[in-house]
Amino acid sequence: MDTTVPQRFVVPIGPQHPALKEPGHFEFTVDGEQVTGASVRLGYAHRGIEKATEGRNWVQNLYLLERICGICSHVHATAYCLGVEKLAGVTPPPRAQAIRVLVAELERIHSHLLWLGVAAHEAGFDTLFMYSWRDRETVMDILEALTGNRVNYSANLLGGVKFDLTSELTDKIYKGLELLEERTYQYVDVVTSDATLLQRTRGVGVTTREQAEQLGLVGPTARASGVERDIRVEAPYAAYPDFPVKVVTATAGDLEARFVVRLQELFEAYRLIRAVLEKLPPGELQARMPRKIKPAETVSRVEAPRGELFYFIKSNGTDQPERIKVRTPTLCNLASVCVLAVGSQLADVPMILAGVDPCFSCNDRMVTVYSGDTDHTQWTWKQLRQYGIDYYRR
Amino acid sequence: MKRHTLLQYAARSLFRRAATQRYPAERTPTPERLRGTLHWTPDGCTGCCLCSKECPANAIEIITIDKTTKQFVARYHADRCIYCGQCVVNCRFSCLTMSPEEWENAALHKQAFTVYYGDAPHVERVLEGFVSQDSASNPST
Repeated sequence: MDTTVPQRFVVPIGPQHPALKEPGHFEFTVDGEQVTGASVRLGYAHRGIEKATEGRNWVQNLYLLERICGICSHVHATAYCLGVEKLAGVTPPPRAQAIRVLVAELERIHSHLLWLGVAAHEAGFDTLFMYSWRDRETVMDILEALTGNRVNYSANLLGGVKFDLTSELTDKIYKGLELLEERTYQYVDVVTSDATLLQRTRGVGVTTREQAEQLGLVGPTARASGVERDIRVEAPYAAYPDFPVKVVTATAGDLEARFVVRLQELFEAYRLIRAVLEKLPPGELQARMPRKIKPAETVSRVEAPRGELFYFIKSNGTDQPERIKVRTPTLCNLASVCVLAVGSQLADVPMILAGVDPCFSCNDRMVTVYSGDTDHTQWTWKQLRQYGIDYYRR
Repeated sequence: MKRHTLLQYAARSLFRRAATQRYPAERTPTPERLRGTLHWTPDGCTGCCLCSKECPANAIEIITIDKTTKQFVARYHADRCIYCGQCVVNCRFSCLTMSPEEWENAALHKQAFTVYYGDAPHVERVLEGFVSQDSASNPST
């Protein structure tokens, strides 16, 4: 063997891998323990939801789109509702908008606590994982009492919301928040002082402000690098104009900063929920929506727990949409993994990946590979069937 | 966790009873708003089919027995239902409710998931095939 030529060694991670809960494929070129190159491949959990929306009516799509993500289902439904309401020229009542914000913030707490557990687990700190998931139960119980479900709350309706707040629920939420707030102080203390955890987070995966801007990072990932990017502040939607949000940022840009930003955002969420509960506007819960919507197109942006969620909605005058395009925050953030992994230790890669809070199934999309000779971009049903028969005959 | 916090937790947990439950002997009360099995009553139903038209999972069908006297039978596919509650919101005559108590819906055979609601003689007629199986809402299927 020629030993003068350096050997290129590729470590594949995924689609099935213990460090990943969802299918994604990464290839890391390593030199010893040092990562020298990284690439990502998506498409293992493509579900064709965007296409499926074109065969359903506006109301049915609400529930289909809510199921894009199991963790941030409410923001998907909110983004869709806000877009469709804009197309139809309907303004939901202020009470409905406030309840949307309330559920969105409860969901943010649930999502961030879940992430804290996952990230701690990736770092090998399973005690923190267990405790944070135990506390997540508190907010899940609140959501269940409020909407009837622990995930996929179905709180939204086109033109409003389904559920109202009662004084009993308000008390339950206040009580739950009190407990969570106390715990969150502990978590902040832990992630900034635990020596073992700090070895895995401090100075790891450092994203500078310039890098964050160049890579187009969104959400807490960008805010940890000092980029003040938050749709709730830049383009307030629903009831956020009435309940302003303070953007939480950090400057370090490493994994520790991402921990701190997400945890500080929890305090902001607690404050917002209390503000909404105190100043909940009275009135109706739903405005009337037309069944058919005249031809138009619109863009709807909301701040999901992971960052900016983008919807493009086009109507054609019928009760079904012409086109719906979804861009989830993970897609923006995933590219940063490939950049940050280069130069870091292979053992840090799962942590860097967990640091962007990836949600593969939400962002998964079809990948078209142009082979050059034949056009494989469009197949008829017959061709696809024949391909399947030939494939299994071989 | 900081070491002393962790020790405190450990000490407290020693004297606490297990967090797991002895299901099914012991069970947590379900919240009032939990969306379980769907129920339909024929009283008041006008056959407008707003429930089935906007059902995201095509889980409910309203079968017409007699349009003039407003007699209908509902066929509910519990296996398709995603328990979103849109039909309950849509129904202006409060014919539909979702029971917070019925959430253990496992069954050993598929037939259990197709539930008929309505007056017994009407349901019998539907089951015996005397009524066109086309639901009122979806004549093409």
